[in-house]
Amino acid sequence: MTSSCRNISPLLEAFGDEELAADKLLEVEQHLVDCNTCGERVRLNQALHVSVRSAVRAAAPVMPGFEERIAAALRAESLREESIDQAVEHEAQHSRMLSWRSVVPVAAAAALTLVWAASTSKQQVQSAGTTSEAHLTTADRLLEELVDHHMNARGPRVTEPALLSQLEPEVGVPLNLPSLKAYGARWEGANVVPVSNQHAASLRYVMGGKHVTLYVYNSTRVPIESRLTARTVRNNEHVYVGTRRGVSIAAAEHRGVGYALASDFSDDESAELVAAVY
Amino acid sequence: MSRKASISAREFETQAIAQLSALLGVASRLTRNPADAQDLVQDTLLKAMRARDQFESGTNMRAWLLRILTNTFINRYRRGGLERSVLDGPDADPLADGWISASTMESMRDPESQALRPMLEQEIKRILDELPEEFRLAVVLSDVEELSYKEIADIMGCPIGTVMSRLHRGRRLLKGRLYEHARALGIVGPEALVGDTSEKQEPVIDLAQYREKRVARS
Repeated sequence: MTSSCRNISPLLEAFGDEELAADKLLEVEQHLVDCNTCGERVRLNQALHVSVRSAVRAAAPVMPGFEERIAAALRAESLREESIDQAVEHEAQHSRMLSWRSVVPVAAAAALTLVWAASTSKQQVQSAGTTSEAHLTTADRLLEELVDHHMNARGPRVTEPALLSQLEPEVGVPLNLPSLKAYGARWEGANVVPVSNQHAASLRYVMGGKHVTLYVYNSTRVPIESRLTARTVRNNEHVYVGTRRGVSIAAAEHRGVGYALASDFSDDESAELVAAVY
Repeated sequence: MSRKASISAREFETQAIAQLSALLGVASRLTRNPADAQDLVQDTLLKAMRARDQFESGTNMRAWLLRILTNTFINRYRRGGLERSVLDGPDADPLADGWISASTMESMRDPESQALRPMLEQEIKRILDELPEEFRLAVVLSDVEELSYKEIADIMGCPIGTVMSRLHRGRRLLKGRLYEHARALGIVGPEALVGDTSEKQEPVIDLAQYREKRVARS
């Protein structure tokens, strides 16, 4: 190694990475014309660069199905965003209507609508009744499915809280693990269960020797509140409770995410628990 | 108050899918496990999707995704952070550039046999996986993803000088191990010290011997 090589050698990596300033670049290029050893260093660096790239790419091919998995996860996330945006928009519209300046014209319009509705045909009334019944039937079916999953729970797919996010793409809402430790509950694991055409996360807890299932889902797609009784708990939080086949169900909604808790506890206890999960 | 993303969900999906191979390559070398690598890539893209309004249109999407991937890896898979204690210590490998002759370097870069290539790739992958994480990440981001020093510094959250140092030390470790491998395969012979011998009186002919002497001196 000549003294000239000693000056040039520290620059050769940046030279190979094309990161050298113009004046240094000229200096290195002039040196390489005459120095075979430094030329060989540059070529070895280049060979290493190519070999590393080739080795890394060969070692991690995109496996069949992975691209589809990612695309499905991204679309689920996109749907979740849309539902949250709609919920936020709906909330904003609702809060705007609460302005007292809006109340008078809205009330007048409502009164006119009532008069108009009273004079419409019997057929229209029947049609509205049918729609309402269909809605109730859907809610009943959803509740029955949740009770079924609670009574016949499968083994958990995830038992590490850190891995809960893996279920998010299927469920379509963010999943955070409520500890419920304050109530003496111990988390056992999580699964994803089908609820009609949707999916809900099913978080299983053991509490006082009894199983508790907390379902987390997209609240706009799993509407169950219409067949439950509204109740106010804690700090004016609204929850809905009811009993099916001896199983108490308490449901609540927060920022577009629905929570339903199924347990053998009383409705009061279930209501208290579901209000504590978000 | 709806989301005001600079890029639509559909556009993001198209651009992100195009980077899958690059993300998976880096994730595989970080996690050293194919299943973990796939999970890391998925977590990364979901996070990026949620934060896509922070992506500056016209900048390097791959570099931005790699920064999220690196942060996700550190936060989720290695809560203790990267192996800084290793990085702050003295160089573990004594091989210096000036110790190998031009002919040896030529032999190392050209084993003259295509049959050796798969073996060499396996060896490089193994050596890479053994490197301290921050060296490995710097080498992969530079040699595989061909990012600039500035982009790597942004991803790793360190100054450009630190990137250069990590690259240099990572590559030197790689070369040193490959030299040992090449010697074991008989591709190169025992190497005598070349270059400026006035400073080093004892020719270092073998790394194992060097290490023994180093231990004996300490």
